[in-house]
Amino acid sequence: MITLYGNDRSRATRNVWMLKELGVEYERNMVDHTKGEAKAADFLAINPGGKVPALTDGDVVMFESLAINLYLAMTYGKGSMWPDDAAGQAACVQWTMFSATEVEPHTVGALIELIFKPEAVRDKAAAQACLDKLPPVLNVLETTLNDRNYLGGESFTAADLNVACVVNSLNMIGFDFTPYPKMTAWVQRCVARQG
Amino acid sequence: MIKIYGSLVSRATRNLWALEELDLDYEHVSLDWAKQKNRSPEYLKINPAGKVPTLTDGNATLSESLGINLYLAQKYGQGGLWPDDDAGRARCVQWSFWAGAELEPLAYGRIREFLFKKEAGRDQALITDMAERTGPLLNLMTLSLAEHTYLAGETFTLADLNVACVVEYLERSNFDFSNWPKVESWYTNTYGRAANQKIQDQRAPIAAEMMKRLQG
Repeated sequence: MITLYGNDRSRATRNVWMLKELGVEYERNMVDHTKGEAKAADFLAINPGGKVPALTDGDVVMFESLAINLYLAMTYGKGSMWPDDAAGQAACVQWTMFSATEVEPHTVGALIELIFKPEAVRDKAAAQACLDKLPPVLNVLETTLNDRNYLGGESFTAADLNVACVVNSLNMIGFDFTPYPKMTAWVQRCVARQG
Repeated sequence: MIKIYGSLVSRATRNLWALEELDLDYEHVSLDWAKQKNRSPEYLKINPAGKVPTLTDGNATLSESLGINLYLAQKYGQGGLWPDDDAGRARCVQWSFWAGAELEPLAYGRIREFLFKKEAGRDQALITDMAERTGPLLNLMTLSLAEHTYLAGETFTLADLNVACVVEYLERSNFDFSNWPKVESWYTNTYGRAANQKIQDQRAPIAAEMMKRLQG
């Protein structure tokens, strides 16, 4: 049985989305990182880094939310979330890495300074510095989506889920999506799948 | 035929190492970024962002150096770089993303100061802060290396390759590993593999020339 550690205030929500897409059974362990539970001994035995989410699946134990999603897609989503063709698989790997290294550092940086930190210690300039890094990155998505409905082609895969969950987080800070109409329509198409 | 685009002083070296480990036939197209070869219309067709490296393999085209290695390992490295068991594969994916998302921002932030600035102009406060934030990451590697010889188990895999290519930035910027002896000996073993040595030997004269240009 798969166990997913982390509550809905953590990046575990993106793993829930993937698990639902795959239709595999799982259970939740609602470790509450906001109460320090991710640093408690029983969770450190799962992830010594003390961060949620983490996932166990038989003798598989892993952390890094986007890596978990890619692993789940490769293991349980053959022919759907993990396409059968090399080009589609390449897209899944590339876009997931792109999401983790090119997009998320800036989105998280902005979210931390605008909503996660207590109001008194928020640094608006630091948030803006993060937001300023986004246009060239989002333009890569806008250009890619110019001639296709999904990042890897015409079907929804792990590539879309792993980028959309990160880009969509910008809605929490009222980000202006108007310069990116193709990307905006794509995010909405992806997110609508969650029902 | 697999083609890898990017010079020997770019992140393409990571992919050249993986291609050598996998013993694949490939063509290396070295794009000189100083001459803006990565901005040519031909290259922008393959990678619209103009970044290197990019790999083409039949009708598959992808960028992101650590992602390229993950793609190559799962496609061509069954039982070797890509383990046969789920637990090993999960660790390969996990450590690859950890290398890109957690370690690289700190390691690259550090080496940038050493490469692109002369000693007097380096931001020592930034270097110290980054070194402090790197410590817990090396502690996490140490815990894993206390359990098994390599990051994903008892054999060398993609996990080691992808993490070592990022630890490389620390080593090249004289990071003090003395508090993390397990990481240091793992790195020496991993980075010194024949497949990588071959690439590093090709890189050395080009890197020396680049350093002369940057550091004077």
